[in-house]
Amino acid sequence: MGVRVKTGRTLLAVALGLSMAVGAAHAGSYPDIGPLPQIKISKAKAELGKRLFFDKRVSGDAAISCATCHDPKQGWSQNKPLSDGYPGNGHFRNSPSVVNAVHKKSWFHDGRIGTNLNDVTRENITETYIMNMDMRIMQERFKQDPVYVKMFKDAGYGEPSNGSVRKAIPEFLKTLTSRGAPFDAGKMSGAAKRGLKLFKGKAGCIQCHNGALLSDGKPHNTGVAENFDVFLDPMNHQAFIAFAKFQGIPNYMNMKRDPGFYNITLDMADMGKFVTPSLRELKYSAPYMHNGMINTLAGVVDFYNRGGGKDSRKSDRLKPLKLSKKQKGDLVAFLESLSGDRLTSSEHVWSKSYPDEYPAIQNWKEARN
Amino acid sequence: MKKRMKYRHAVLMASIATTLLVGCNANATKSNSAAAEKAPAPAAAMAMGPAKLEPLGLPPIPADNKQSPAKIALGKLLFFDPRLGGDASTGCSTCHEPDQGWAWAEDFSRGYPGTVHWRNSQTIINSAYNPRNFWAGSASSLEKQARGAARGGVAGNGEGDLMEARLALIPVYAKAFKEVFGDETPLIRNAWRAIASFERTLVQRDTPIDKYLQGDKSALSEEQVRGKALFEGKAGCIQCHNGPMATDFNYYNVGVPPSPRWETDGLAQITFRFEQYAKGQTQEGYRTAKEDWGYYYRSKNSWDKGKFRTPSLRYTKYTPPYLHNGQLDTLEEVVDFYNRGGKFEDGRTTNFTKTKSKLIKPLGLSDDEKDELVAFIEAFSGEEILMEKPELPDYAPLFTKAELEAAQEAK
Repeated sequence: MGVRVKTGRTLLAVALGLSMAVGAAHAGSYPDIGPLPQIKISKAKAELGKRLFFDKRVSGDAAISCATCHDPKQGWSQNKPLSDGYPGNGHFRNSPSVVNAVHKKSWFHDGRIGTNLNDVTRENITETYIMNMDMRIMQERFKQDPVYVKMFKDAGYGEPSNGSVRKAIPEFLKTLTSRGAPFDAGKMSGAAKRGLKLFKGKAGCIQCHNGALLSDGKPHNTGVAENFDVFLDPMNHQAFIAFAKFQGIPNYMNMKRDPGFYNITLDMADMGKFVTPSLRELKYSAPYMHNGMINTLAGVVDFYNRGGGKDSRKSDRLKPLKLSKKQKGDLVAFLESLSGDRLTSSEHVWSKSYPDEYPAIQNWKEARN
Repeated sequence: MKKRMKYRHAVLMASIATTLLVGCNANATKSNSAAAEKAPAPAAAMAMGPAKLEPLGLPPIPADNKQSPAKIALGKLLFFDPRLGGDASTGCSTCHEPDQGWAWAEDFSRGYPGTVHWRNSQTIINSAYNPRNFWAGSASSLEKQARGAARGGVAGNGEGDLMEARLALIPVYAKAFKEVFGDETPLIRNAWRAIASFERTLVQRDTPIDKYLQGDKSALSEEQVRGKALFEGKAGCIQCHNGPMATDFNYYNVGVPPSPRWETDGLAQITFRFEQYAKGQTQEGYRTAKEDWGYYYRSKNSWDKGKFRTPSLRYTKYTPPYLHNGQLDTLEEVVDFYNRGGKFEDGRTTNFTKTKSKLIKPLGLSDDEKDELVAFIEAFSGEEILMEKPELPDYAPLFTKAELEAAQEAK
């Protein structure tokens, strides 16, 4: 335990953990599970990012926006196992909530982007099976919309540009930080408090689900069953094949499983590993797991109670937990206490309409492009 | 003497051009400003050889992409298949509709959903003979044209890996690619080859002008014969519209003004700027461009601003509107445009006055002469080539559920 304690903050966490007397097998060995840090936000930039996030003109054929697959009404994700993807194809993974995305250190279920949200924004906009946008066209679209011209300027970005889009959307995502969760507010029910104890103790969830996000940000193989719809539905399969080919995964045409973190290392030891998801805001973002294979939080608890799924490379941290029915209920209550406000008001959702067409620039022959 | 040398060079060029259509174009292009601008007077040109109309021979077939019935059949399906595009709604035929002259009957090609193109869609008919494709000749083969159009942001907006994945999930294609190309799974580059092969079958060699040039003097009406004389003489069309395709495949600024749509249409303005950006304009060029710089985007030579490839006159009966930006709706208007010396009725013309071809000057044609010329130009078109769109093969899963279950068990 001592070797892992490196920072003052962690020490504090340990002290808190001990004082709350929750500690059993895993207590105190892991970063504290809350709260999330405060982030400074530029209002004008975030407001611009908000308009961009809900704007369909960010996609190639102007048919989908970020919010199509990260819908505020669906927990800023999609309430279906597999994300829609771009028109003309499907997708091969579940759309994760973007709430708290700004607090992550790596993104996508396989963690393939570990730099910043600027890169994540670029990846989602330009990736062929996601938004398929040539950002040069996107830039010119926004230069054609007087509302954007003003908003980019007011945000200090000058004229609309690709680079500024990649900054403004992450600025907006900063506003999507959990708030009002009973766990953070110290308003947990008795069941939730018992669940927390199990979480840190008997159930051992804390081993991977730790820190402010309740995620260690690391990839693990928990043996989640494959979602056969990825491979049986050619719309999804084509997105998977395009992804796997581009990533340089050997024998991608015959692949019958999602390689997960193997995508990055090409080391078989990493086959089927996925980055531990945050447990915040789960209440509204069902179904669960990287491929949406489990419909409810109770189902997820059952899954871990069984010791996870079947995989020869499954993490040895997973073992049958022997939780009682009541204990499982307590654990679910704790998980639910990690969800706060839905963030669906106009504070977070762009509620004004977008123009139906692009007004022509007057005096075009004389105006500088 | 010096002059004669030049002509001999031109004769040589022409003979290379007819035998080896692909490959010589770069030379032809380089000699453009020198040879083309100082071209001999029409009558002299006829005498010297190069500026002559010829019947259309068999299309050249590249050695690395031979024709076969199976390849052509595959190419036909692919040509009409919108899955060879970004959101599976745009295929080749989307902008090259058989019943719109294998082109698109608006000034600008329709473009990818959410966009509009910025140039006129050109016909597929006889594209087999083009040494280069696109209005500024940016594609050096039909294969590359297919690839470029399928991927361009305001055209197909498709991406190779995803389009290739789609082909693999269509069993009819998987089988055909294996048979035709030996592909274990379909390779996208072979899709472009099959499409090019199909396009090489879309030729028209039995037009009135072909018959006439082969000796059937009844193939042209008297009016058309008079039009031919004007074409080769007073009107001087032959200076650029010569050879079997009635084009020298060279690049000229003939005085076409910028499209007025760029002044009034927001969507078109977006594409206009995107094209400046995408084609590698300088910062200042991007900021100030107000018309299509044409061949300049490829050569980056100031003297190439506003130049476009001479289009073929074949099949033009079915391919209105005309000019690289589709501003004229009828062949009559095109003849009027040249009769005015490369000006529109309202006086509009190119702003690149320095690069405008010296070959273009007022022609002084009478109304009858203009009619004769139009009648003759129509002799470059035979029957309309129509084709029913084929039924496209469906997707099917690559694996069975049992195979997936077995793989799950083996994890």
